[in-house]
Amino acid sequence: MTGRRPDWIHPAFRLIEGEEAFGWAEIAALPVPAGGVVQADRPSRVLAALAAAEAAGQGLLLARGAVAPNGWQPGQGFSVTLESSGTTGTPKRLRHDFDRVRGRLRGVAEEGARWLLTYDPGAFAGLQVMLTAAAAGALLVAVPNSGAGTIAALAEAARRHAVTHVSGTPSFWRAFLMALGGADLPLAAVTLGGEAADQPLLDRLAERFPHARLRHIYASTEAGALFAVADGRAGFPSAWLDQAPDGLDLRIADGVLEVRSPRAAPGAVDADGWLSTGDLVERRGDRVLFAGRLDGLVNVGGVKVSPEAVEQRLLAVDGVADAAVLAVPSPITGHLLTATIVPVPGAGEAALRAALRAATADLPPAARPRALTFADHIPLSAAGKKSRKGSQ
Amino acid sequence: MTDSIFALIAEELGRIAADKGEVLPPLTADSRFLDGDLPIDSLDLATLLVVLEQRTGQDPFREGFRQFTTVGELAALYTVPA
Repeated sequence: MTGRRPDWIHPAFRLIEGEEAFGWAEIAALPVPAGGVVQADRPSRVLAALAAAEAAGQGLLLARGAVAPNGWQPGQGFSVTLESSGTTGTPKRLRHDFDRVRGRLRGVAEEGARWLLTYDPGAFAGLQVMLTAAAAGALLVAVPNSGAGTIAALAEAARRHAVTHVSGTPSFWRAFLMALGGADLPLAAVTLGGEAADQPLLDRLAERFPHARLRHIYASTEAGALFAVADGRAGFPSAWLDQAPDGLDLRIADGVLEVRSPRAAPGAVDADGWLSTGDLVERRGDRVLFAGRLDGLVNVGGVKVSPEAVEQRLLAVDGVADAAVLAVPSPITGHLLTATIVPVPGAGEAALRAALRAATADLPPAARPRALTFADHIPLSAAGKKSRKGSQ
Repeated sequence: MTDSIFALIAEELGRIAADKGEVLPPLTADSRFLDGDLPIDSLDLATLLVVLEQRTGQDPFREGFRQFTTVGELAALYTVPA
C-alpha cells in the first residue's frame, strides 16, 4: 500500500520497534492483511492497517492471541474493533468509532517527546499511546514481545533511547523500577492507569523521578478516560463529589462510584445519564479511595481476573474434593491468585497438580492460580463462606 | 546470616522455573530478578514472594514496598531465626 499520509500521523512521527526504525514511508510500505483483521502484536503493523482501513472506508479488527476471528465482519465505514483480554478464554470484542477514540486524546504533547509503549498494541491503552505519539510527531519506542524478558527489554530500550514519556499499569511500574536498577532516565511524564494506583508506589515514583509530572488516570470500559489525578496522592479529592473536573459528575451509591460523563457511550447510561463504574470506593477524610470491584474481579498485573471462575474450573477436576481460590496482595503484581486444594482420599498429589495445571492452561497467565497448597479442609469465614481476599 | 534464606529462594525459584519447563542457571547473590538473567517474569516473582511468606511466616512487604533487584538483596529482607 502506498497511500496518502493520514492526518492523524504527523510528518515528524518516528517509530522504533526493536532494531527497526519507521517513518510514515516505511509504515505505508508494509503489507496490509486481507479481510480487515490484523494481528495486533506490533505497532507498525497496527498503524499500517489503520491507515489502510481508513482509506478503504472499512472496519478493522485488532486481533490478540490465537483466537480465530470467527464470524467477524468489517461492516460499513471505518471503525476499530478491540479485543479484551478476558479471563474466561473467550475475548470480548468492542467496536469503536475511530473519531471517538481520537477525541479522547488531549491536545498536543510536548515537542521532542520520546514515548515508551508498555501496553499491548491491540489494547485500548496501547492504541491511545500510539495515536498520541503519532499525532504529536513524537518518537515511539516499542519492543517486540519477548515473554519473560519483556520488562528487561523495555528497561533496556528506555535507557538506550532516553525516553521521556512512559504510561503503564501500576504492576508495570513496580517491575520496571526493579529492572531499571539505578539507571538514570530523563522522564518528564510518568502516567499510571488500568488499575488503582497505591500510595507507596506513587511515593516511590515521585522520589525516583522528581522532575517528572506524575499522574494516575481513571477510566472505565463503558465511559472511557474519566479523569487524571496529578497531586501524587492515591484516589481522588472528596471535593470532586461536589465539583468534578472536565464536565464530569461523580457520586457514591451503595459504596460504588457512579459517573455522568459527556464522553460516555450513549447505550451504557441510565435515563439521567448516570453510569455505575462497578468500582467500590471509600470516603476517608478529604480523599475517596478505591477498594476493589463490585463483581469480585481482582487486578493481577493489570489483568482483571475472576477468582470465582477459576475456582469453578478447579472444582471440576477429577480428584478435587474442594478448592478455594484466593486473591492475595502482592507487592509486584498488585494481587496474585493462589489456591488451596482438598484432594479426595487416595488422589496422588503429582498427578493432581498436573491435572489442575491443565485445567487452567488456556487462561491468561495472570488468571492461573499460583502457589497451590494441599490441605484437608478449606477454612471458612465467620459467615460460613470461603473468604475471597487474603488478609492484608 | 542469610544462607538458609538464599537456599530457600534457590529451591523455590528452581521449582517455579521447572513448572514452566525452564532450567534455572546457577544462582548467585548478584543474580538480578527481572533483568533477563533468569527465566522468570513478574508473575513468577510475585509467586516466589507468596511462597516465601508461606514457608517463613514473614512478609517483609507488609508495611509497603522495599526495593530489591538481586537475589542477595531479597534474602537480606528476611530474618533467620536463631
